[in-house]
Amino acid sequence: MKTNGITRRNFLIGSAAGGAALLSASYLGFNSWAARDKAAEQLSVTPTLCDGCGNWCAIKVSTRGDRIWKAEGHPLSGNNLGRMCAKGHALLHEVYNKDRIKSPLKRVGQNRFEQISWEQAYKEIGEKVGAIKAKHGPESLFMLQYPEGNAALLMRFIHALGSPNAFSHGTTCFLPRNVGWWLTVGASKPEHDFANSRFILFIGRNPAAGLHLRQLRDITLGRDAGAHLVVVDPRYSEIAGVAQEWVRIRPGTDLALMLALAHVMIKENIYQKDFVEKYTEGFDEFAKKVEDYTPAWAEEKTSVPRETIVRLARQMAEAAPSAIVHSGYHGAMGTQYKNSLQLVRAVGCVSGLLGNFNQRGGPYLAPKPKLGKLDKETHPTPPAVSATMADGSGDPERYPLVPAGVGIAQAIPELAIQGKLKAGFVYHNNPLRSNPNPARVIEGYRKLDLLVCFDYVMSETAAIADYVLPESHYLERDDVVHTSSSYSSKQVSLRQQVVKPLYDTKPMVQILIEMAPHLGIGDFFNFTMDRWNEAALKPLGVTLNQLRKEGVIDVGGEWKPGEPKFQTPSGKLEFVSSTLQDIALPAVPEWEEPLVMPARNDPHSFRLIHGKQAHQTHARTVNQRYLKEITMMNDWGRVWIHPDRAKALGIKDGDCMTLSSSIGKGRARARVTDGIHPDCVFMPSGYGVFSRHLHTAFGYGISYNDFLPTYFDPVLGHNMSSEIIVRIEKT
Amino acid sequence: MPESAWGWLIVTYLFLAGAGAGAFVSAVACDLLAPDWSKTLARAGSLAAGPLVAVGTACLVLDLEAGLWQPWRQFYLVSNLSSMITWGVIILSLFIPVAFLYAAALNELTVVGRYARKYLRHLEVVGGFLAVATAGYTGVLIAVVNGVPFWNTPAMPVLFMASAMSTGLAVAMIGAAIIDITTIRTMSSFALGHVIFLSVEGLVLMLLIFLSLTRSVEAAASATMLISGSLSPYFWALVVIVGIVVPYVLSIVEYYEYGKMHKALVVGADLCVLVGGMSLRALIVFSGVAPHIV
Amino acid sequence: MPHYGIAIDTTKCIGCHSCRVACQNQQGLKYDQSFNWIKEREQGRFPAFGKEFVPVQCNHCQDAPCQSVCPTGAIYTSPEGIVLVHRERCVGCKYCIEACPYKVRIVDHHEGIVVKCWLCHDLVAKGGEPACVTTCPTQVRIFGDLDDPNSRVSQFIAKHRAQPLRPDLNTRPRIYYKRS
Repeated sequence: MKTNGITRRNFLIGSAAGGAALLSASYLGFNSWAARDKAAEQLSVTPTLCDGCGNWCAIKVSTRGDRIWKAEGHPLSGNNLGRMCAKGHALLHEVYNKDRIKSPLKRVGQNRFEQISWEQAYKEIGEKVGAIKAKHGPESLFMLQYPEGNAALLMRFIHALGSPNAFSHGTTCFLPRNVGWWLTVGASKPEHDFANSRFILFIGRNPAAGLHLRQLRDITLGRDAGAHLVVVDPRYSEIAGVAQEWVRIRPGTDLALMLALAHVMIKENIYQKDFVEKYTEGFDEFAKKVEDYTPAWAEEKTSVPRETIVRLARQMAEAAPSAIVHSGYHGAMGTQYKNSLQLVRAVGCVSGLLGNFNQRGGPYLAPKPKLGKLDKETHPTPPAVSATMADGSGDPERYPLVPAGVGIAQAIPELAIQGKLKAGFVYHNNPLRSNPNPARVIEGYRKLDLLVCFDYVMSETAAIADYVLPESHYLERDDVVHTSSSYSSKQVSLRQQVVKPLYDTKPMVQILIEMAPHLGIGDFFNFTMDRWNEAALKPLGVTLNQLRKEGVIDVGGEWKPGEPKFQTPSGKLEFVSSTLQDIALPAVPEWEEPLVMPARNDPHSFRLIHGKQAHQTHARTVNQRYLKEITMMNDWGRVWIHPDRAKALGIKDGDCMTLSSSIGKGRARARVTDGIHPDCVFMPSGYGVFSRHLHTAFGYGISYNDFLPTYFDPVLGHNMSSEIIVRIEKT
Repeated sequence: MPESAWGWLIVTYLFLAGAGAGAFVSAVACDLLAPDWSKTLARAGSLAAGPLVAVGTACLVLDLEAGLWQPWRQFYLVSNLSSMITWGVIILSLFIPVAFLYAAALNELTVVGRYARKYLRHLEVVGGFLAVATAGYTGVLIAVVNGVPFWNTPAMPVLFMASAMSTGLAVAMIGAAIIDITTIRTMSSFALGHVIFLSVEGLVLMLLIFLSLTRSVEAAASATMLISGSLSPYFWALVVIVGIVVPYVLSIVEYYEYGKMHKALVVGADLCVLVGGMSLRALIVFSGVAPHIV
Repeated sequence: MPHYGIAIDTTKCIGCHSCRVACQNQQGLKYDQSFNWIKEREQGRFPAFGKEFVPVQCNHCQDAPCQSVCPTGAIYTSPEGIVLVHRERCVGCKYCIEACPYKVRIVDHHEGIVVKCWLCHDLVAKGGEPACVTTCPTQVRIFGDLDDPNSRVSQFIAKHRAQPLRPDLNTRPRIYYKRS
């Protein structure tokens, strides 16, 4: 097999066109080269969806003969508008990665697997699941996935088995963001009209590394049209380089800043009164609550000068309603702090004061097409499962705000150790590397009687599974119809096969359909993927063939500014959340201390923060050589540390440091930079792969999960992944 | 980004071409100025010149890639008269045969040599001119490179010329000692040559370093790398002490102690010059720093 | 005949390296070969701290040092102002790599020649734009005809007084930068 995905003869630098001037000299061998090029060039272009991150950008992949060559963004796709990032380009090569799993595998020893047939795998898994169900009940089964297009089918699968335990990576990623917005405006993921904003605030969010291509384009359009961009972040992130202003904040204190901004806007009477009156609920209580949160108080908490806070509040108010605070993702508004949920609520309330919802230059609810479903007569849906999830998600007594289907992923190992979970199916997820405290995670997953992993390389999790069923690479398979290309209008898109599978692998949906009869749930999977997709598209008046040809189809419904509508209990933007009130939680955003703080007088004590790099999607892409090369070339595996703090520890740029927390220890080289708050160190996420089967990534760098204890936020159960104190010493 | 593309093969080439050219000049000088008592030296120099330059050129060719695998491409090498390599190819392809012919003529080897003997003076004039061109060209080759500010100075050809002459003389003297160890006593007069060439080399090197420190940030970075940075141990030990100071002192002693110095020390001084010459080429090439572009 | 060039707005560059990998795919380069680099430069101390990503590729100099030192005449400038390498003539002497002040030329050890950005001449000839231009999420690069004062690239250069890298080297590049 050729190791390089792309034939090398093709970039004829200065071939026919420019060579004319030199034709006087003879070209020996020239003609034969040109002929070879022609032979190789049987070009075809297939539209499909990228798999470099969760955005699933629509792309057009060019193949030359039967080999993948290159790709470009699909111009129609609302969330990438014809653009593509490094991860998308590089991932094309992964089809040819020699680390891929080539057939179903069965564990036959500590680190030994044997190749088996699909039939044997289905049969044995069916028997084992049947035995476990009979002995421990269906509630002892679980499914963990990264929720994408196929998510609904995985849910159908686990519910058909009679188990409520459907997990996603939510509590290690986005959960407070979703819940916070849902509580405040009734929808969990507002989109942004950045291009028309006049003031844009990013608080603990960096769309230039947690890449969102449409947002980036709109942000730069907005900036060029005169918008003021402010980035609030403990470190000088990639988006800070695009912004006019970087506000260096003490990590974990973003909530204090938001509360103080609200304080100033209310005190100075510069909020959007009409909007507040018409579309919000509980303003008076909120106003009373933020009375104490003065800029001086916030300066103490955040280390942001009070003058800056007052100025920002005035600038925002002046630009309102075309002023916007990014709705967040995995950063400060994600699962990183104990106060993350309150922060999201506070951002929602500030948005209320700005009166920006559904306004030009403000946040809005992204239009998404409503897909159709299979006919229930011929394709029965599994009966609803009455039991609550083993981790207490959705249980009014335990985690009422955690949606079923998200669950608390990092609880799985604990539940396995307690014997409550006995068998699991893991799809497109790698908890051994992406969950906190790997030693505990490994212990837990090893306790399972049966672990089935669906993956296309031997991830850490696959390497301890009992059965590994190889999914076809994303360029080799069809998936179910998707709506992720929608941004400002409704779009449907499709992932489809670009090249034939190189190995004995199958699309995930097909694996489920084929495996179902062996598990006694064949009745619920009596359809084909095409049938499912046709049903999904039916209400939209789009045929599957059309979608195959186009890749993305816009079905209209362009977002327009107008009257805001909120799906909250009150039908308004809720300063006071009635839902939180009902379950006796703080109903108005209020200050909440982070769980931990570095010791003030200890020169060795730091908070460990982490985040994405623009060229990597956590552990998902680090085994890619083109991307690894970018890391290596720029020496970007280093941990950022402030020069003054580094100096006190005798650490110079490039020196090796030893980091230790309550659960782990590791070494990393220092990047001494002024672009970080002195209270913390920053570690790029995704490195520290310990599966020996991933040859490119193995052994490079460390992961924040190696330092993060297993936490459960009291309200949402999330992992509070930046609540880590590390002790740093020069190695 | 590729900071430098040249390695040991090019360093060796720069050194051997210089030493070969210098040896030729030494031979011609001996034959013209003192044909009676420096015959051995002239013979040694003439015999060494051709092979050294030829081996050096082989290094240059080995460093090629497509030009090595598809040798016909080398015909293109004379296409661009604004390229110093084109000039180098022309000079070398003339000099190498002349150097071999001269060796044959001076030593009356083979029929060709006996015939060429008649034109010895012509060969000396033409060859001497080509030898100086070869030695100078190795310096100009890197001096015209504005992609490396440290190299980009007229001092470079002068430095390389001086080094070529002293290493050439050292080659000739070692060769003479190999041919006939008894001649070593007569060679003391030539120690004066070392004194002169090493003085020039030392002075120009000093000038180059000092001027580079102020010339541009990149040249200063290169110079700093040599005098106090990562390459400084090699620079001070191999180029300055072994390559210049030791042979300089030994040569002065040799000159004044006419014929009395131990022969090991005489040959030792010459070996030092060779080590210094090679180290100088290596350190100049490896200390090249690209312009700071952002 | 148009004379092509690129204007680069570093204030929009986020260092994502999409240009690099798009180019590697377009040109069929291996993971460790590239025609595109992004230089990261930090400046000043907080609160005056700033950071800049500067994408660097072949500058397509009008007085290209690589072209003047190439012994085989393998480097030439196309009528559109694109500096090209004639791959049948290159011997791989690497003199051009030393001569290039921007250090954007690499050896392709597979073919034994020196290669570099050729402004996606094949795409441009068909009316397209180079892969690094079209893929960029923040539209850092503007490609077009430098001779046409009304082209987007010319207008951008004029408006922002964009400068080439190291104009003091007198290589007269066709890539212009808007910095800060």
